[in-house]
Amino acid sequence: MRAPHPRNLPALLVRLHEDEFSGTVRVAGTPGGTLHLRDGLVGAVETPGAPTAASVLLASGRIGDDDWLAACAAQRDEDLLGERLVADGLVGAAELEVVCTAVVFDGAFAMSLGALGNWELSDREPGFVARPGVEPRQLTDETTRRIARLGSLWGPASDLARVRPVPGTGVVEGPLSRRHEDILNQVNGRRTARDIAFALGRGLYAVMLDLIRMRTLGFLRWEVPGALDGRPSTAARVTPGRTTAPGPPPAPSRTEPLPRRVPRGGEKGGK
Amino acid sequence: MSTAVEASLARFLDSPGVTGVALVDAVTGLTYGVAGDGAEAGDGQEASDFAALVAERLGRAGAEGELESIVMTSARRHQVLVTVGRPAGDPLLLTAGLDRERANLALAARGLGELADEVLA
Repeated sequence: MRAPHPRNLPALLVRLHEDEFSGTVRVAGTPGGTLHLRDGLVGAVETPGAPTAASVLLASGRIGDDDWLAACAAQRDEDLLGERLVADGLVGAAELEVVCTAVVFDGAFAMSLGALGNWELSDREPGFVARPGVEPRQLTDETTRRIARLGSLWGPASDLARVRPVPGTGVVEGPLSRRHEDILNQVNGRRTARDIAFALGRGLYAVMLDLIRMRTLGFLRWEVPGALDGRPSTAARVTPGRTTAPGPPPAPSRTEPLPRRVPRGGEKGGK
Repeated sequence: MSTAVEASLARFLDSPGVTGVALVDAVTGLTYGVAGDGAEAGDGQEASDFAALVAERLGRAGAEGELESIVMTSARRHQVLVTVGRPAGDPLLLTAGLDRERANLALAARGLGELADEVLA
């Protein structure tokens, strides 16, 4: 016998999987997000917390802006856009599956970093979905594994999401991989892991793992979580499809933490 | 239902002695697809951790270029990891388990190299 109302989002998704639901689940919260389900499987997760498949393909330069726009114009149904991209030879079917599957897991992970609110079900809306999609239980298990892994490597994932790394000052041993170079080109003391993920067209979790490793190797440093102020990101967003030019890491404008505004901080003796 | 990744991987099962093959994200350890015996192909997280460790140590020792492959051999099995290059995006790994009595390691390594070139097509 089924409970009348699922107690949380994972339970809801399991219920929708059993029902082979095709439609949309909007979840309130910070960051919250929208899940597109097809026949009970999660085909796409759209959240402000992590790049979508379109962001990944465009920001990484895998598909050019013009080719993307042409494919969108030729195939108006977003559900079938992936097949169009493959038919046009812009990306392989297996590679597209890898990209779309990765962002489903990454989106779920990003949503798990904040508090989730109420959800709302609606009919199917067009979405750039993974085929065939991901089973909800697999999604939940992987999200749990990721949070546990970050916890064992560094600490609470939600704290790591708020750090704003700067280049390290230590001596770098061995050559830098291209991936680590790209991250070094992005860090400036203002960008979070999320900002870097959007700028590079990479997954949030993958960027977090790289940040931890680079900190261990002395490539990066950041404030301890207790000193974080939780301000919203003010980093410049990179327009999808326009990658940053390769070059040496930009020198941070300052190595000290940015000044923090304190209520009545400028008043002496104020009440 | 076989996915595009699994269909691509399944071709490699025709090679003698190959018991399982998987496509794994080299950064996150996420397994994108498996053909054959998944346990024989190995755990994705362990494979990605191990490949990262080897690449890092080789770099410190002065090796140049990206890691291409790792072969581990036990009394009964070979475990092979092959890096899959991508035009963009994080690197992937092909992980394969081979029965040592039936597999020809040189042939299998060549086959995996070819699969690595074609698996994302």
